[in-house]
Amino acid sequence: MANETIAIPDDLAAKAQEKDWPLDLVQQALAAGAPAEQIMSYMDMGVTADQAREFMAQGAAGPQLDLSWMDTPTEWGTRAKPTKHGLTLEAINIGRYGEIPDVWEHMTEMPRGAVPIPGVEAMGYSIFQKQEVWSDLCAPMYEEAIQRRWRPATDVPWDSIEPLPDDLERAIGQVCTYLSEKAQMEADIIGRWEPEISYGYHEVKLYLATVVFEDARAVEVFRKRALSNGGGLGLQSPGWAFRSVVDSRNFTEMVALQFVLQDSLTLAEYQFGEKYAKNAAEKYIFAHAIEDKARHVAYGISHLKYVLLHRADRRMEIERYLDKGEGMLLVDDKKDTAARPAWAIYFAGGKENIAEGLRIYDHMRRQFVTQYLARLRWATLERKDTINPGLRAYVEGGGE
Amino acid sequence: MATTFPSTEWFNAICELVNNDPAFRQLGTVDSVIGVKVGDKIFELTFEAFECTGVREVAESDLRDMDFWLEQPYDKWQEMLNNIKVHGAADLTHTLNTIDLSMPEGLARSHDGYRRDAFYRFNQSIQDFFNASAKIETKFAEESALTA
Repeated sequence: MANETIAIPDDLAAKAQEKDWPLDLVQQALAAGAPAEQIMSYMDMGVTADQAREFMAQGAAGPQLDLSWMDTPTEWGTRAKPTKHGLTLEAINIGRYGEIPDVWEHMTEMPRGAVPIPGVEAMGYSIFQKQEVWSDLCAPMYEEAIQRRWRPATDVPWDSIEPLPDDLERAIGQVCTYLSEKAQMEADIIGRWEPEISYGYHEVKLYLATVVFEDARAVEVFRKRALSNGGGLGLQSPGWAFRSVVDSRNFTEMVALQFVLQDSLTLAEYQFGEKYAKNAAEKYIFAHAIEDKARHVAYGISHLKYVLLHRADRRMEIERYLDKGEGMLLVDDKKDTAARPAWAIYFAGGKENIAEGLRIYDHMRRQFVTQYLARLRWATLERKDTINPGLRAYVEGGGE
Repeated sequence: MATTFPSTEWFNAICELVNNDPAFRQLGTVDSVIGVKVGDKIFELTFEAFECTGVREVAESDLRDMDFWLEQPYDKWQEMLNNIKVHGAADLTHTLNTIDLSMPEGLARSHDGYRRDAFYRFNQSIQDFFNASAKIETKFAEESALTA
């Protein structure tokens, strides 16, 4: 159709005159199918006549696209099948995509199984060896963590909390302060390690992301408990044990101190928190926190076992990290004047029975040390005779 | 009709209840092989993904292949299940974790310090499994029937 046969609406003609667009250009745009309102909006946006001519010329020639990427020699024809658990990370680890190298050689954010291109800037990863981070549990535990998530705001039966005596409310407030602080510290520490791990081990990166999320949930839920019943937060922790984790210089050191040592203690604390819960809300909180923390411990201990299976020469090094961490944990015990009596009052149900509470506290510590040693034994680390004497004393004591 | 505890029929009845309960599925995946020891009788429960997929009576030697097993005196089993029946779910003093910490040897036992942690990882699903017993009529076996 010839351009001159297309009528230009009066308002468009007026706008074209105002914006200095020749009428033949307006007719050309209308002929190409552009609605009058759209042409006027381009004019209002400041598109010049020359820019409009250039744009329409490109459209007439058709886009010049490079489709050579379609010939990329990745493994093609992959059809992962959902399992009983759904389409999991393990289910898609097939063919080349499931080959997890002992050493990852790429400095960039290239996904495992993709094809590298030259000239991409490095991401700054520092961990390129599988033994530094791996556990066979990462992929299944990522899925487990995603499936077993819970929502503090609405799942916890907050209405079940009734007013408690002041000493008991202060005790739970102090316990919650301590647990919330510990969880935030772990989230911060692990968040810092995420960008160090190269993309070849994405299962580890994904699993650690769930740990950070679960720590955030612990920060949230213990803070909410502290602020939900007429009480509040208590004293901050001295942080000596945190320090040993913060100062870790390699990933396995951090795992040994945080996921194995510290988290074994936290898991025991959650167990006893569940047992001595004063209401259904606290029962729910501790019971679900137990599940999250047990996954953290499982990752930690299975990573240590993996390291020792593949780098037997690191045994003494790991023992040394544990020596250091156990020592710092005991310093915390001496410096932290609030946590122990707060737990004891919580267990005993009030200040008047604090002696009974302290006995239960010792039982909690014994549970921690017993389980910590049993887990290390599974990872081929026998520390019954080498554990810090201050911790050994708990297992050499009596029962509850 | 009442179902006798402990028996494969009793555990199968609970399996059927939880496998058809959306709330059990919502708790998430469970992958574990768990034993229940009552007197000399031992039952193996297999959980896979969102279901209890198997129940069978096994021998003492099979305990070694399980992640962990639950063991307590028969009167304590009865107390726990009666408590669940009365309240519709375990009350604050009868949860599996609470019972575990109340026994010197623990309720959850294992030959493996690492595999025992499955008790904690899947604690709420296992609790939900036993809580489901509130929905059936349970008849307790004579204690003499529990000896090998």
